[in-house]
Amino acid sequence: MKIQVNAKNRAYQFTAEGGQRILYAGLATGIKLPYECGSGTCGTCKARLVGGRIDDTWPEAPGRKYLKQPGEFLMCQSVACGDCSLEVPNFVYNMDPGACVPAICRGTVARPRLLARDVMAFSVELPVARDFDAGQFMVMRVPGVAGYRGYSMVNFERSAKKLDFVVKKKSGGGVSDWLFNGNVDGEQVELFGPLGSATFFPNLTRNILCIAGGSGIAGMMSILERACQEHYFDQYHGYVFFGVRSMKDAFYLEELSRYRSVFPQKLHVNVALSDEDVPAGAAQRYPQLAFDAGLVHEVAARHMKGRYQNIRAYLAGPPPAVDAAIRVLLLEARLTTDNIRYDKFS
Amino acid sequence: MKVLVARSGDEYFACQAVCPHQDVALCEGLFDGTVLTCHQHLWQWDIRSGAPRGLAEAPLECYTVEVDGDSIYIASPGALYVGELFSGIAEKTLAEINALARREEFTQGGTLYNVGDPAEDFFVLESGRVEFLIGRDDRTSPAGFMLRKGEVFGWAALLDSQPSRIAKATCLEHSTLLRINGREALKVLESDPASGYVVMRRLSSLIARYLASSGAR
Repeated sequence: MKIQVNAKNRAYQFTAEGGQRILYAGLATGIKLPYECGSGTCGTCKARLVGGRIDDTWPEAPGRKYLKQPGEFLMCQSVACGDCSLEVPNFVYNMDPGACVPAICRGTVARPRLLARDVMAFSVELPVARDFDAGQFMVMRVPGVAGYRGYSMVNFERSAKKLDFVVKKKSGGGVSDWLFNGNVDGEQVELFGPLGSATFFPNLTRNILCIAGGSGIAGMMSILERACQEHYFDQYHGYVFFGVRSMKDAFYLEELSRYRSVFPQKLHVNVALSDEDVPAGAAQRYPQLAFDAGLVHEVAARHMKGRYQNIRAYLAGPPPAVDAAIRVLLLEARLTTDNIRYDKFS
Repeated sequence: MKVLVARSGDEYFACQAVCPHQDVALCEGLFDGTVLTCHQHLWQWDIRSGAPRGLAEAPLECYTVEVDGDSIYIASPGALYVGELFSGIAEKTLAEINALARREEFTQGGTLYNVGDPAEDFFVLESGRVEFLIGRDDRTSPAGFMLRKGEVFGWAALLDSQPSRIAKATCLEHSTLLRINGREALKVLESDPASGYVVMRRLSSLIARYLASSGAR
């Protein structure tokens, strides 16, 4: 099916296969259509249908609350029924040379393992190697669950044949139920990506600040992996704030300790506990890490005072935590908006 | 019409209540007394002028405010005062350009100009919707559209050589436009080079946004 997109600056044509989401078809052609979550929650990929017919695969998608005018729809949730033309009220460009152009791929789930009482890690092994940038995510479709959900890669390597993910348990969450209520080892999943613009490149030449809540640490681990591979923290500071409810909910503390032991001068890692005081023994168990009681954005604001020079911030986690961190970074730290990176999932 | 009223000290400001990007309610955003930030994608504006800052790709429509006792009066300015091209230039110069503007109404389907027409005038959209097509006869393809009050097009009329039109401009719905003669506008700008410089800087970034690829931005 031929899809025509009329953008503010020009028109684009691409083809979509039957059942393929319009957004994914366009992105896979290398056209930078507007999106953030790619999974029906943020509303950023809204477009207006000018001609043809579309099928909305998820009429209850939360992102539909951003649709205001007749004919508007979410490109990430819609498939074309025949040729279509649509209008996007944005400036749209082709992807830059060297960008990791997203594509559909299938993979096999391997080594699902519990990291904390309600956090599961697993890998997806790919038959064909894929490239992605540190901080990016994939949308994933699992057997028996309708629709795609976004998960950030934890690992970082070029030509990756394995992608690592973490998922937090959420009752009533389709993918979460699939993962926590059965043995998923060896199951086939479908992925589309890589997606997302909260990316880190070693030519950034800025100190980096990562503020993550819960499973939001996933993308930060990829950023830290890439930065450590490149010895980025020989030259620049890295400030990592990882918020969890209690010590029982914390994970990746060994990995974070290992990164810090290699770059003890410039890499700083604070774990913020929101629901309990720092237990005695935490500091002895993880001598490389610092522990604080409080919400992660408050702990970050306390420690970062006076250290906001030349900072690029990366944020991830539950939307209220991300919003609170944005508030601190804009109003207190006075960062410019291009130095605050996150992908909105609400 | 929804209006956002913000207070900074004793001063009041008024602007459109939804973000020009994704129709998000701006009252949920952040305001530091000068800069208004939409919480959704961090577009920012100077609330005194509506001028975009940082990531914002469009200006914010700001209204003039008068406080009289317990009442706040808000007035919507003309399209010329809302658009990106002329915001912030000297009041006298803007008034002179405004004096050159002729308001014209077009019915749905009305053509403003065709490919190859001489480019003597440029246009500022007041209301409605204008679409552009490039190519000729049956081999045409869409080349963008205008739908926001204050958007400027037909800017070839502001170039020295006044190249002929490269696109066809059609009103997709009943539209009101300000038509301004390019040479006359340039004369006004020449008499006030400081304002002229601001307008030319804005014009060049406007052209770049339409013509450039993302890597060249």
